Amino acid sequence: MRDRPSGFGNPWLQLGLNIICVVLYELLLKTGAKATADLSQTWSWTGITGLASPLIWLAIVVIILDLMIWLYVLKYIPLSIAFPLSRVVDVLVPISCWLILKEEISTLRWCGIALVIIGLAIVARPAARLEERL
Amino acid sequence: MTWWSLVLILVWLATFVAGQLFFKRAMELSSVTGFHNRKTIAFLGAGIFSMTISFLLNLGLLQRFDLSYLYPFQGLSIIMIGLLAAAILKEKLTWRLTIGTLLITAGVVLVSMS
Repeated sequence: MRDRPSGFGNPWLQLGLNIICVVLYELLLKTGAKATADLSQTWSWTGITGLASPLIWLAIVVIILDLMIWLYVLKYIPLSIAFPLSRVVDVLVPISCWLILKEEISTLRWCGIALVIIGLAIVARPAARLEERL
Repeated sequence: MTWWSLVLILVWLATFVAGQLFFKRAMELSSVTGFHNRKTIAFLGAGIFSMTISFLLNLGLLQRFDLSYLYPFQGLSIIMIGLLAAAILKEKLTWRLTIGTLLITAGVVLVSMS
């Protein structure tokens, strides 16, 4: 890891922003893809028909922004640490559905969420060591 | 699921993982030589191309399958990226990192299957 910028340029803060962007575009993509699923049977397997939805285009803007943030993160953090940490989205989405949308979460799903959190805590240790070496 | 869907899912995963590796290599090169280097641009271009294919295939798959069905496959990409980052990019894969990565993968698969 090279000289790490501080403040807004902090790669860990940028990793957080990346996670927010991923949650946002996943929701936009799913909504847009569902709305355009029946447009053409011939071409739907390529995903190209999804481009008829404005939500998909909004998602593309978020994806491009997210890509720039992600490239910046990769400049400073090893891929094998940054990528598993970025998967915190997989627990953030169900937890926010539970908190905001009052959706039910099954026991099995809670177990999965717990596993991800334990895994993240374990991965976060090498990440913290990386920070110390600066 | 037909064999054709399985092929699409595998290509979607492979292009996603390859894209991440290209991006990381491009950013490593850019740290040394900046963006005025042909190799950096080539890796960045390869990454963007790979990710675009992956993005379109993902859209196509989302039109046919539920997000919760496709998510466990995405969980596999965490392990694949960890292993390939160690093998190709020579990143240090400690036991701690490996166990953490496996737990995250198992958790993601469990969350999406339940």
